Amino acid sequence: MPLTVARGHAWKVGDNVPTDAIVPEWVVFKSFQEMAKHALEIVHAEFAKNVQPGDILVAGKHFGCSSGRAVAVKALAATGIGAVVAETFSRTFYRNAFEIGLPILEVPGISARVQEGDTLVVDIGAGSVVNETSGERFQATPIPPLLLEMLEAGGIIPFADRLAAR
Amino acid sequence: MNLIEKILASKSGKKEVTPGDVVVADVDTLLLHDLSGYLTGRVLDKEVKRPILRPDRVCMVFDHHFSPASEERANVLQENRDFARRHGIRHFDCGSGNIHHVAIQKGFIKPGFVVVGSDSHTPVHGTFGAFATGLGNNAHASMVMPFSKAWFRVPETYNVNLRGRLPRGSSARDVAQFLIGDIGEGGAIYKAIEFTGEFVDSLDVSDQLLLPLLTIDIGAKTGYIDPSQKTIDYLSQWSEGPFELVHNDPDVTYARTLEYDVSHLEPQVACPPTVGNVKSVQEVAGTLIDIAEVGGHGGGRIDDIRMLAQLMRGHKVNPNVRLQVVPNSRWVFLQALREGLVEELYLAGANWFPAGAGSNQSANMGAMTARERMICSQARNFPGRNGSPLAEVYLASALTVAAAAIKGEIADPREFLE
Repeated sequence: MPLTVARGHAWKVGDNVPTDAIVPEWVVFKSFQEMAKHALEIVHAEFAKNVQPGDILVAGKHFGCSSGRAVAVKALAATGIGAVVAETFSRTFYRNAFEIGLPILEVPGISARVQEGDTLVVDIGAGSVVNETSGERFQATPIPPLLLEMLEAGGIIPFADRLAAR
Repeated sequence: MNLIEKILASKSGKKEVTPGDVVVADVDTLLLHDLSGYLTGRVLDKEVKRPILRPDRVCMVFDHHFSPASEERANVLQENRDFARRHGIRHFDCGSGNIHHVAIQKGFIKPGFVVVGSDSHTPVHGTFGAFATGLGNNAHASMVMPFSKAWFRVPETYNVNLRGRLPRGSSARDVAQFLIGDIGEGGAIYKAIEFTGEFVDSLDVSDQLLLPLLTIDIGAKTGYIDPSQKTIDYLSQWSEGPFELVHNDPDVTYARTLEYDVSHLEPQVACPPTVGNVKSVQEVAGTLIDIAEVGGHGGGRIDDIRMLAQLMRGHKVNPNVRLQVVPNSRWVFLQALREGLVEELYLAGANWFPAGAGSNQSANMGAMTARERMICSQARNFPGRNGSPLAEVYLASALTVAAAAIKGEIADPREFLE
């Protein structure tokens, strides 16, 4: 899987969005399609209803805190979003995203420079975000090589197979 | 090297590691609960399709449910039991207690271990001088279960040094809560936090637990305490050694040191909507409450139940309040029974629940309407965890929960400690 370039409209949420808001406990045993219908509904009622494949979620600080449930990443991936960009992520969400194969970038200061609905281009390989609406370009915090390799492999399950074969 | 660097080095077959290195380390213990066991088991059986290399190192505890209220949940628990039997792993069924306390009491935690778990509060086991952190379902299913290994980036370490003696009415829980507010949610992302100082040394191990427990909510990867004979004595209550302590080298340095004096710390309350919104109890006193609960990751120890009983002595639960007591292990309930606290609190109006995680995420209890408000010793209060996203959850020590249970509103426990 080549490293992703995603282009889509921005959806915005604030700081410290917990996994409880990404997928509440009462939906964690349902299908990913069902979870996706409720993704983020507590903090952004329109997101799950109107998100389009390839759209970009833009979050504030410490996105995905609280419970380390990997289904939070899987449910977001099931909405069809192309990438998540945040000022910072909780380490459990960050790790889970690469292990599952959801492209994410950490870009300090991004929240104030993107309005909801702006068109963004996220290039994981280059570590860049371009806001086509405003014309601004941002550089992300570098991703450790191991995680890029994991993302390229399609997540930790195929990556672990590679490790086992070595 | 500090002790977690030493653990990560020895478990990955290296002489030395430094922060930033990525290692693949042997895992000694994997902790799963009833929610994560189900999700992880499905990934293992349907996507990874490998056997579990060391089933003896896996501990599954049903702590979010004590008696499922729907067929859907009964199926989840049944699937967990089937998974545990099929793979030969030990599972501790409904009513056994909270995942972390069951793991400690059943001998799954030892100093020097690498402990991973799908519960984000897994860093609590750093209290025993172990390297402990939370991982996701796919990491457990693809590496920990089939190979007994996990990858880790060696974190930089912060030092939180605590001195002084707590004033009356404040407890280790208030210190932990204050630190989350002061360091801030996300204030130590990816770091390890070592807790040191005369205050930490003065605490019983059961109180020390509350410090590494908090590290996840300031964003840290793990927290730990350099262990001592006290650590061994605590673990020896339930499990057999040998316990081999791993200590810091004498020349350790820290990326950052934070100093605190706890001598004047007032009781602290984490207010909705996040664990980092921490205020002194005086600032929120008078807020009406409907439910008071002692239980969960941050409560439900015998110490909490003793504090609750101490403050309630001579008082009744306010008629507008439901007081819920949830021991975090069967051992705690038995201890409370032997000390007469079960009867005493029952007569004061408390409801006893089976050992477990209590109202954590309202999986089995503790759902609220948009108009209800709870004060509890749980570890989290994010909207959506307890029924309506508009319901409000305040987090506090057992003493502060007790004061609220008596008055029907948030109150300063020092009023009842004269």
